[in-house]
Amino acid sequence: MLDRLSLSMRASHILVALLVIIALVFAVVAWSTGDRFYLRLATEALIFAGLALSVDILLGYTGLLPLGQALFFGFGAYVSALVLREVPSFWVAIGVVFLSTLVVGLAGGLIASRARGVYFALISFGLAQVVSKVVYNIRELGASDGLRGIPILDIEFGLVSISTNAPLAFFLFTLAFMLILYAIAAYLLDTPFGRVLIALKANEKRVPFLGYSIFRARLAAFMLAAQIAALSGALYPMLRGFVSPELMFFAVSGNAVIGVILGGVGTLAGALYGSILLTVMRSVVGTWTEHHLIVIGLVFMTVVIFLPRGLFGFVRPRLEALLAREHRP
Amino acid sequence: MDSVLFYIQFVLAPQMVTGLALGVAVVLVALGLTIIFGLLDVINMAHGEFYAVGAYLAVALGLAGINFWVLLLLIPLIMAPIGYAVERGLIQRVFNTGEDRHVTTLLLTFGLAMVIEEFILIVFGVETMRPASPIPGAVEIFGLFLPNYRLFLIGFGLLVVAGVAVAVYRTRFGSMVRAAAFDRNMAASLGVPVSRVYALTFALGVALAGLAGVLLAPIYSVFPTMGRDFIFIAFTVVIAGGMGSIAGAVVAGLLLTQVQAISSLFISPVWSQPIVFGIMVLVLVLRPQGLFGRLGHA
Repeated sequence: MLDRLSLSMRASHILVALLVIIALVFAVVAWSTGDRFYLRLATEALIFAGLALSVDILLGYTGLLPLGQALFFGFGAYVSALVLREVPSFWVAIGVVFLSTLVVGLAGGLIASRARGVYFALISFGLAQVVSKVVYNIRELGASDGLRGIPILDIEFGLVSISTNAPLAFFLFTLAFMLILYAIAAYLLDTPFGRVLIALKANEKRVPFLGYSIFRARLAAFMLAAQIAALSGALYPMLRGFVSPELMFFAVSGNAVIGVILGGVGTLAGALYGSILLTVMRSVVGTWTEHHLIVIGLVFMTVVIFLPRGLFGFVRPRLEALLAREHRP
Repeated sequence: MDSVLFYIQFVLAPQMVTGLALGVAVVLVALGLTIIFGLLDVINMAHGEFYAVGAYLAVALGLAGINFWVLLLLIPLIMAPIGYAVERGLIQRVFNTGEDRHVTTLLLTFGLAMVIEEFILIVFGVETMRPASPIPGAVEIFGLFLPNYRLFLIGFGLLVVAGVAVAVYRTRFGSMVRAAAFDRNMAASLGVPVSRVYALTFALGVALAGLAGVLLAPIYSVFPTMGRDFIFIAFTVVIAGGMGSIAGAVVAGLLLTQVQAISSLFISPVWSQPIVFGIMVLVLVLRPQGLFGRLGHA
């Protein structure tokens, strides 16, 4: 027997599988034409899709709008960059990012999880503003220039190793990495913990009557989202070789939210698609005019007004109906 | 003893007057923001852009030869219908979608802010512009030279704030606004045209933002991202003062800008922004409802 959540998760898995197929086809085409630029761009799109995924966990499943999620993305990127400059090892960098984000996510969560609704959005926004301004002004962290000179890595897997400088290999690696993040998020949200989060979004007042702590559930969701954002951010310096304070700015947080809204709030797969679509749109419209933000802003407003559930809010219910029919005896 | 007096007179006092001029301007912007939130439950992310539009219109019309004093009246009159149209055409559309109203309107105005900012870039370009001060010169008060225009800004700004307070608390329109903020259904059944009151209130807020734009253009100059830079502190003020509170916006606006002005005497001014945001986060954590109550709620 499948309930609604498991059903929607299964629909989401199918859409993600479709995304992987599209990505693999793209990789083959790009590889056969010897392209470098678009593979790097697609890798970056995937990295930012991880950030959108973390926004969807909060916005779509917990009902909290994070306006400063780039804080954790940038944090992951900076920690990763700092570690890589000293110890050029992927596993060490990821490990340090994971552990430090546990601490920072807990600290941020303790501050932000007390608030709800609009106040949560503003606390999240304010925290990101404070930290990005501080980073912007600390000379040891490169101030406004950021950190440069992050070495090219070989990611060791025992027998094989992947160079971050090989566009195709690193693209496939990033794809796999994002799939793992997606799988973790999807798995956790399908557990009883995920159901508490959804209950929080639906009716916060009833949750304590069922014996669950609002604060603890929200804190856990916040830390999970922080972790996913930071781990995605950790890949950024490996791709681009530098980090800058702009990674923490409101524009990045805002873009992640736009991506989630475009794709569909609370669909996980929609966050990935929406974010990637946004990157594609940005580069395509960017070739016509430098004022591409006006187009993105208009598209975004149209979606908010006419398609409040995003693209997948439209597609997924149909897919769910299909799946439900299959599972009926 | 003398050195203390000297310090107060020539270091602290000018800094506080400069801070006060900024404070009054911030209060004007925050006032619109807080009234809109108090009544409509809308976090207007595009408010800073309306402020920028006001400033740019002032520059453009000023270059076309229109007198500053005329602009002071004209710009709010141009901005108000824009605000009215935005509320009627965009915000009202997502009001009853059943989703969280805070979030949808925030997102919508966020998109609008992007569009307006790009639009400004297309029309006016990236250059920073600075209109000449309409009242040049300075007066000497207690041995201090204070720029005339800043003194005018402080006086005029406080008058506008007082005018808004009178409008909200002493007029028929104001009582409709407060009634609709307190209980929109009850107000509607008593014959208040709630949706028009919403649109008019939004228009008032936008007009105030535009007015702040005209007033501040000669001091802080005009550039495409001016709205974004300014709105952060206005948000902080609205949050610290209590979302939807007029008194709160005034008190918090004046206090926070003083904190910013005085703290920049002791530490590098680049740190004043983190401090202000730190205060905002602190207030949100300790007293999420802000210092004062909401509009309509006593």
